[in-house]
Order: sequence, then structure tokens, then C-alpha cells
Amino acid sequence: MKKIFLVGALSLISFFSMSQTAEEIANNYYQAIGGAKWEAVKSILMTANVDAGGMKIPLEIAQMKDGRMYTKINFQGQEIIQGAFDGKTSWSTNFMTQKAEKSTSDDNENAMRASKEFPDALVCYKKLGYTLTLEGEEKVDGVACHKLKLVKKTLLVEGKEVPNIEYYYIDKDSNVPLLKESEISSGEMKGQIGQSKFSDYQEVNGVIIPFSISQGLKDGESQAISFEKVLINASIDEKTFVYPEQ
Amino acid sequence: MKKQFIICLSMLCTIVMQAQSSNAIVGADYFGDLKARHIGPALMSGRVSDVEQHPTNSNIVYIGSAGGGVWKSNDGGVKFNPIFDKYCQSIGVVSIDPSDPDNTVWVGTGEVWTRNSVSLGNGIYKTTDGGKNWSKMGLETSDRISSIQIDPKNPSTVYVGVLGALWSDSQDRGVYKTTDGGKTWTKLFYINEKTGCSELIIDAKNPSILYASFWEFRRSAYSFSSGGLNSGLYKSIDGGATWNKIHNGFPTGKLGRIAFSIAPSNSSIVYAVIECEKPEDKGLYRSEDGGATWKFMNGDFGLTVRPFYFSRITVDPKNPDIIVKAGLFGSLSRDGGKTFKSLGSMHSDIHDISFDPNNSEKVFVATDGGLYRSLNGGTTMEIIENLPLSQFYHVSLDNRTPYNVYGGLQDNNSWYGPSASPGGIEARDWELVGQGDGFRVYPHPTLPHIVYSEMQGAEAIWRFDTKDKQIRVVKPYPVSGDPKLRFNWNTPITTSVHQADRLFAGSQFVHVSNDMGNTWTKISPDLTTNDKTKQNQVESGGLSADNSGAENHCTIFTMTESPLTEKVIWVGTDDGNIQVTTDGGKNWKNVIANIKGLPANTWCYHIEASVFGEGKAYAVFTGYTKGDYNPYVYMTNDFGQTWKSIVTKDLPIFARNIQEDLKNPNLLFLGTELGLYITLDGGISWSKFENNFPSVAIHYMEMHAASNDLVVATHGRGIIILDDVSPLRFITNDIITKNLHFFDSKPFVMSEKSSFGGTSSTVEFVGDNPSDAAQIKYFLSKRHTFGKMTLEIFDKDGKLMATCPAGKQKGINTVEWNFNRQAPKVAKGKTIAGAAGTPPTVIAGKYTVRITKGNEVFEQQIEVLYDPKSAFTLAERKEQQQITNELFDMTQDLAYFVFIIDSWDASVADYQAKNAGKNKAADALNLELDALRDKLVVTKGDNYVGAGEPQLREKLGDIYSTIASYFGAPSSSQIENINLLKKRFSDAKVAFDKLKTNQIKAFEKELEKKSIAPPVIVNFEEFLKLD
Repeated sequence: MKKIFLVGALSLISFFSMSQTAEEIANNYYQAIGGAKWEAVKSILMTANVDAGGMKIPLEIAQMKDGRMYTKINFQGQEIIQGAFDGKTSWSTNFMTQKAEKSTSDDNENAMRASKEFPDALVCYKKLGYTLTLEGEEKVDGVACHKLKLVKKTLLVEGKEVPNIEYYYIDKDSNVPLLKESEISSGEMKGQIGQSKFSDYQEVNGVIIPFSISQGLKDGESQAISFEKVLINASIDEKTFVYPEQ
Repeated sequence: MKKQFIICLSMLCTIVMQAQSSNAIVGADYFGDLKARHIGPALMSGRVSDVEQHPTNSNIVYIGSAGGGVWKSNDGGVKFNPIFDKYCQSIGVVSIDPSDPDNTVWVGTGEVWTRNSVSLGNGIYKTTDGGKNWSKMGLETSDRISSIQIDPKNPSTVYVGVLGALWSDSQDRGVYKTTDGGKTWTKLFYINEKTGCSELIIDAKNPSILYASFWEFRRSAYSFSSGGLNSGLYKSIDGGATWNKIHNGFPTGKLGRIAFSIAPSNSSIVYAVIECEKPEDKGLYRSEDGGATWKFMNGDFGLTVRPFYFSRITVDPKNPDIIVKAGLFGSLSRDGGKTFKSLGSMHSDIHDISFDPNNSEKVFVATDGGLYRSLNGGTTMEIIENLPLSQFYHVSLDNRTPYNVYGGLQDNNSWYGPSASPGGIEARDWELVGQGDGFRVYPHPTLPHIVYSEMQGAEAIWRFDTKDKQIRVVKPYPVSGDPKLRFNWNTPITTSVHQADRLFAGSQFVHVSNDMGNTWTKISPDLTTNDKTKQNQVESGGLSADNSGAENHCTIFTMTESPLTEKVIWVGTDDGNIQVTTDGGKNWKNVIANIKGLPANTWCYHIEASVFGEGKAYAVFTGYTKGDYNPYVYMTNDFGQTWKSIVTKDLPIFARNIQEDLKNPNLLFLGTELGLYITLDGGISWSKFENNFPSVAIHYMEMHAASNDLVVATHGRGIIILDDVSPLRFITNDIITKNLHFFDSKPFVMSEKSSFGGTSSTVEFVGDNPSDAAQIKYFLSKRHTFGKMTLEIFDKDGKLMATCPAGKQKGINTVEWNFNRQAPKVAKGKTIAGAAGTPPTVIAGKYTVRITKGNEVFEQQIEVLYDPKSAFTLAERKEQQQITNELFDMTQDLAYFVFIIDSWDASVADYQAKNAGKNKAADALNLELDALRDKLVVTKGDNYVGAGEPQLREKLGDIYSTIASYFGAPSSSQIENINLLKKRFSDAKVAFDKLKTNQIKAFEKELEKKSIAPPVIVNFEEFLKLD
């Protein structure tokens, strides 16, 4: 009887947790991933070996609090930089010529806008003037999640401002995101839904980081990346961010 | 407090109720990553019911389809994406809000082109983000929504035309209005329960003005009626508050379906196409005073043909005299309706035409065979090639590898195509094996080149020899003493699992042929009710005769032999009988009366004879042709003497088909009007399967025994396959409590096939292939979210072969391993030698899968086999493996060799940086090292046409990759090439040995002199661990 009562009480708690606001959910999420510990985080450096069907590709992703970032692939002696942003210029190494090339003006502007979202848009949405709403509850991988809609600063696509909306699916129990979704806004895949799934959350210097991210298309193929190391405030060669003038 | 106590109490009640049904296993919690695979096809596409274009952005186009949902194009109609998969797939209308066209779109479900095979709707939906998310906005029982008109000045005000139920009376018909964006609705205008609103149009220039056509109509299983005294065209000038008939100039008497349209450029001009009693009065009428008076313009066939199916007329947005009428071919007038010509060649049966609002030359046309686009005003039409909207009636399979899928399509012939094809399943992979409306298609059980197919009402049953292309009609004909044979529109034919040359066909009798259709024998009496009042199809159609065979009734509809004995044959009829014989057709017993709770004369849609007992069978009935949407699914174990319903409240709508699993009697698949449902517990509970499976009407399913695939014939989204459903067999109450459980797997075969791929362009639909990797399947009782989880594969000696990303979902997880082991470490160079990094394939044998989840370790043995169809001998394979390994090692040796050279070079560079001026030993070594490296790897150029001359690394990589990617022994020419490269490598090593005794030694002395440590060069094993 005592047990049934306990179950009933737990049910009540989960009933009341359903009535959380979007803001409360976002706040619980922030607390769940480390809360104020994030204030001391100036940079994140992540390393992984991506397995491309048996071929190992070493990868390093750096992200600075001020928005600078790069992904470095070190392969057969070649350093290939992808998705770099040095605070002004967004660029990548051309695989063929192995020379740096600037992203389009649109992508550069979008990188500039996204650079303000450290460590994550859902953490700093208020400061950035984004709108957050609770869309309801949905299951992700069999887990009941809050579905949050985050309307961010618009994206620039082919010279036009278009809506920039991300959906977060936050585990109702642990308050960490299991899934992020957004519509692909340009290119041949335009209109399809891109997804990122998160797992293997681990604590590093007091903050909680997903060590595994699987990215792909909704109902389509995905590619997982598992980080071997995540370093907080590690020494990062700042020159790597900078677009090398030709 | 009292309220909280009540809530608590009700929760406790729920817990107790859940405990009572503890045998139930709620499948939806455990489907995990078991995911549907769509193979289309799209080459014949399917019926499109409505087209809508963005008012200002010509890149945005929406279509609503008859059974395949809503699709959106962002590139002017070149490619489309499905955006409505979670919801009802039968679409009446799509409407873009003119005030917020980028975001707000309304969808009315329930197609309004009311043919016999039409699906139904379940309300109105709205998106406010361009289709990413949808909300249901009510009108759940509307059945069919013909029109949604949004006030251009006030988007909260929306008018909806509800055509309503096709098969029964309904008080939901009429014109509805919301003034709060869909939260509440008011019925503005209603005529009666038989007459619905078939079109509603607002005057965009004066939104208080609305026109509505009303249509009196009814379909039954055996007849169709269009027209009556209540049909008419009405106008309101006060926002729908009052309506007046506007028939001044119309024909008198009964009217049928009325298509009408307002000219966007001049709203005084209104066109109406009228179905009426007198043939000479049928046709196009034009009003130039907003409907006050009408003038007959034209009665061409193209305007008057089949009004129930083609009542849409569209006016050019700029020119009020250019109009297009839907029809058999589509009719275009450029003189205000005086004369017409056909649209350009395309699939027949045109349902909607849409002009680009800003460029009348760009036209989209919705047909029975997909969506077409014209860039010259409708003169030449091109089909959109990525809309897999095909409407299958049936599916059957063969036993080839890969197996083929056979089936017939609504208005789009009969086909077969492969379940897998290099590069994906393309349009060119499908073979045409029948004409007209296609239904049931079967391969001969033992002669793979023989295919049986049919067209509507068994007008033909064909035996097609795909080898010599001979087509023979083999249908049973009436013989002396026979009454008229009544064949259903979708006539049952089937082959036998017991006699290869046996073919069955069903009229009101069961016909059997034992010689592939050459001679036929009747083995039953009339098994139907033979109700004469339901056999007057010649009168069908109402004001426009429509006797296409679609209403043939009192016929056998389903017919199946027991897979265990040829003596047991089950028959279900469209008028509600179930007949069974246990002596091969000598005696028949009607067992329908033994089913309790089933309304009389309910259509028996499918009987599934069980593999688990001669007397066991499942029967599925549909009552929708009488307006009854309840599911009726029963099971018998005693040849129909007793029946048990396996319907639960989990099933919201009627079903057409059930498929029994071939191994687990508690695993059943139910094809409903709104998608696929699965039970894991023999029908105690059902769960909707939604992993990439839309809420589409399912007409038939078949299970492929060898692959355990469930192959589903949908009526709107083509063929959808659930690959290898065998894990579902093992989800039991015991398994679901385990943290992790590996499912047993059959040995995995490393298939040897072409990697050249297909030929389709990116604008064509290509069906997904099944995976040909090893699929490691396991069950997780909870999603893995915190802590590390890895999956590794080891060989029998415990050597790590591969790491794969682990699946982490609750329920079933599938991890794919492509049989590769880790690639060799490749020497550094100026460019990337992709071929050198080829991972070799493992050898056949046993491997261990190890999952590490936090502190827990789970292991499972798997087995890998060579392709049994391969022509290669084991000796040839061994030679290939040995040389692959040799080259693999050589690649890594070279990498280490270059690493040593680079280490010395770095030391020299370091020395030179720290010691200004020339040093003979350092400079000499530097020159020698550079010269040696230049022969080993590319040291200049880029990764494209500026690449340097290939050196040892590149040449070795090429031959290694060539041999590692082949399954047989290397050729003598390849061996010679390898010997050449070996020589080159050994020469390099000799050269380096010379350096060691000369230049390196001298440099070491120089280092020693300067007290500089020589380079620390890690050993080979440590080197392999470096990034």
C-alpha cells in the first residue's frame, strides 16, 4: 500500500512537471548541464576519430566563447580546416587545392550571427532576444521529451532574411536535450529536416557535454561522431582560426 | 487539495488497470530504429488532387494527393518533399493564406474526386511555419473538404466547403466559417444530409462575396448517383450570412456536380460547368455579371465527361478569356469558352490545373498519373519525377535474390520491380506487365519468367512471358449454362503454394485452372448473396452514366488457400460472406453467421489463412461502403466455427489487410486506412508504427519468408518495406526487463556486387536499397544518454577489427558493420592518397561484438560468410587475402619509413633553425632526405589536376586498393607490378641504410658536438598509435 502511495505521489510530481513553462524548462536544462560552471568556460576543444567505413579520420573541433571556431582534420599529413570562423571571416580549406577559401557572404553573415550563441542558443536565448515557446511533449527514442521551439535571429539565404527556427527535445527526467531539429534552408536539401541527436553526456570541469552526436536527415541516414577527449579552457593555437590571406 | 486527491486517485486507478493488462506489450515503446524503407516507384506516380502556388514566390508549390499526403517544392516544382506524413494522406484541398503565404497553409483532408477507391479524411489542419508543424483545427467528421477560402483582408476569417461523407448521409456537409483562425467553427449554410459543398470560392477583391456549389451525390458498394433537385450554385454577398441560388440561364430539372471559377482579373466573370439531365444542356456556362445571368458556351466532350471526377475549372490569373477545364485530357480555351483544345500529352484524367499567379505560361496539372509542369501554357508537359504517390491495390513477391515486388496500380498498369538494385531502385528497374487499372499480379511459383496480371473487372487476366514477351489472355469465360460472371473491379486471382501451375480466379464462383489458365473449372456454387438489387450497375452514375465496372457487386473479393493443405480454401465476398471448403472445393460452408457483432453484408476484404494451423485464419472486414468506419478483425482456430475479435480501442479506423508473422503467432501486422498497426501480443494491444511510415491507406501486405521483410502495398505512397522484422518476434515480457539483449542473427553474407551504381539524376525518385552490411541488432530497455557507450568487433584471436557507432534508442537498435577491418596507416605526403587508405574486408568466420555501456560489457558472437553465389574458390580468396595483407603491411612499413625520414628531416630543420649559417653535414643530409622522400611520396602539387607525379605511396596505394577491393586472386600482371614496387621500396631502404652509415652518422656527430639530442624515433607499434 505504501508502495502504491509512493507511485501515486511520483505520478503527481510528473503531472505537475508537465505544467512547466518554456522558460523553466530552459533554466532546468541550463542547470542540468552545469549551470553557473559555464561562466568559467572560455573554450572547448574536442577530439575524435571518425570512422569512415574502416578509415580513421582524426578530427579536432575548437570553439571559443567569443564565437571563433574551427574543425581540423589531420589526415595523411594534411591539415584540412572546415567551418572555421575567426570572428570576421568564415572559411574552409578547399580539398582539391588545399588552400583556404572564404564562405559565401550569406554564410559569413550567418556564422557571425551564430557566433554569439556560446555555449548554446538555448542558454543565451534571452540575452539574444530569441523567442522560446513550449510546443508540447513528444517521444524521442522512446523517451518523453519537452518540445521547445526557439526562434532565433533570421538566416541570410540568397540575400534574403529567412526564419531560423530550432526545435529542442529535452528529456523530461534529466533535462538534457536528446534531439535538435531544424529545416534545411538552402541547397538541394532545402525543405528537409536536419537532426542532431545527443548522448554519452559526461562531466568535464563541472559542465556536462554530450560526447556523442549523431547528425543526419529526419527518417534518413545519419553519421555519428564520438569524442575521445573534451578539454575545457585548453591551450588552443589561436592562429588556426584565422583566415590565411592568400 | 480535494482536486489533487481526485487526480491522485484516478492515477492509481490507471495503475491498477495497467496491472490488469500486464500481458500487453506496447510495441510503440520498443520499435526503436526499425524503420520503413520506401521504394516507390514514382515513374507512374499517382493521383494528385490539388495544386496550390505561392502568390508571389514562384519557387513555392504545394500539392495535395489522393492518398499520398501533402508535398512542398522549394524550387519551382523540380523537387518535392513530403510534409504531412503524420496525418491523414487523403487530401481534398491545400490553401495558402494570402496574408502570410510564407508560413500559413491550410489543408482539408478527404479527397473530393469521389471514385470507388477513394480514401477518406479526418478534418482540417493548419501550419504556421510553412509545413514543419501542423495543428488539427477541427471538423473531424467532415469526411471530405472541398475548399478552404481565407479572407485576404482578415486571415482569422476562413470559409470551408465540406462535401462530406461519400457513402452515407451526413449532417456535417455545408459551408463553415471561423473568425478566430480555426478555434471555433460556425456552420453557415446547409442544404441536407445528401448534398454537400463541392466548391466554395471567395471574391478576393470583395471578400464579402462568396460562391458555393452544392452537389447531391451518393456512392454505395454497388452503385453511384450524381445529381438531384438539391444540387445548385449559390452566392452570398454578406460574408456567408445569407445565400441565394444563381441559376438564371441554367438548365432546369435535376443538376449534378457543378465546377465553377471566378476570373481573378475580373471577378464579374464567372464560369460554371454543369452536369444536368439533358445532354444538350450539359457544358460550360459563362456569366459576366457575377452570376446574375448565364449564357451557355460549349458542350464539348472534354467539358462534360465524368463530372464526379473532373469538376474543376481554372481561369488564367491575367486573362479572363483563358480557361482550362479538368477532364479526360484537360481542355484549354483562349476565347472565353467558345472553343477548346486539349492540353499537351500527359497522363489522362486531369483533376486540377494551376497557373503561376505571376507567369501564366507556367502551369501545373494534377492527373491520375502524377503532377505535370508546363512552361509554355500547357502545350508541352513534363512529369515531375520525384513523387512516389503510386496507389497499389495489392502486392506479391517471388523468391529470387533480391526478391521482386509485384503489384497493380490504380489507373497506372501492373508492374514488378526489384527490392534492391545497384545505386538504388530507379524508375528503369520497373517492368510493365499489364495495362489499365492494375490489381493483383503474381509470379509463377517456379517459372520466374511467367507473370499473371489483370485489369479492372477481369476484362483481361494475362499470362505474360517476360522472356519471349508473349501476352496471353487466360481469364475464365462463361460456358454453356453459366449465368453472367460477376467479377469485382479488383478481381481476386491467386497462385497456389501446393501446385505450381494452378491459378485461381474468383467471380461469384471459384474458378481453378491447373494448366496456367488454359482451361478452367468451377469448384464452387455462387458463394455470394446474389442479391439482384445490387447488380444493376448499368444504371449507375446518376445524371451521367458511369458503368466502368467499379461498382460490380455480389462478387468474390478475397480467396486464399491454406499454406498447410490444398484442401482448405477460404473465400470472402464483397457482400459479406465467408465461405470455407475443407475438401478442395467439393463442399462449401458459409460461416459468416458465426461472427458475432459484425453488421450484416459487411465487405470481407481479406482472409489470411494461418501457417500455424489448418483451421486457423484471420478475417478483415470493411464497412466503409455503408458509412461504417469501425475496424472488424477476427480470428478463428476451428475453420470458422467460432471467431474472436482482435480489435481494441487502439485501432481508430477500419482495416483492409492483416499479415501474420511466419514464426510468432502473436506478432500481427494490420493495414488500416490510416497506416500500419502492429501487435506483439496477439491482439491484446496494437501500436501504430510511425518510423518513416506515413499514415497512408494500406491495401495489402506480404511477408517475405527468406528475408523476414514485411512488404506493404500502400494506396498513395507506393511500396514500403520493413526490412527484417524478426527482432519483433523476440520482444517478450522477459526481454523488455533486460538492460541490453542481443537478438540472434543468421550468418551475414558479404555480397559481391558492382559498385558502379545507378544512372538517375537528382530530380528523380530513387528507392532506398536494403542494407547489405552486417546488421547487429540488440534491445535496450532504456535509452542510453549518460556515460560512454561503444561497440567494437573482434576476431577470434581478440584482435580489434572495427568500431561502430552504437545505437542508443530504447527498444530495437541496429548497428551496421560493412565487414571492413581498420585501414592501414598511410605515409604522410603533400597530397592525400585515398586509395592507400582502403580498409580491407574481413575473412569469413566468427567474430565477437562487444558493447561497453558504462561499466557493463555485453558480448555476442556473429558469423560472417562469403557470398555463396560467388564464382571464386577458397584458394583464390586465400591468395587475394595473403597479397592484400602483404600490401597492407607494406603500406604501413612505408608510412613508418617516411616517418623516420621526416623525423631526421625535422631534426635537421631544428638544427638549422638554431644554428645560423651553413653546416655541411646538416645540409647534405637535408638534400639526401628530400631526394629520398621525393621518390616515396608526392611532395608537391594538389589533390586534383595539379597533383605531382605519383610516387611509391600512390602506386602502392593503387595496386593495394585494386586487390583489396576484389574478391578473387590478383592477376599475373598485378603480381608483376607488386614485385616492381617491392623492388623500389627495397632500393629506398638500401639508400637509407647508406645514409645511416654516411650522412646521418655525420649529422649525429654534429649534434653531439653541439650537445643536441638526436631525434627520438618511436618504434613501429608506437608509431601506429599516433594520429
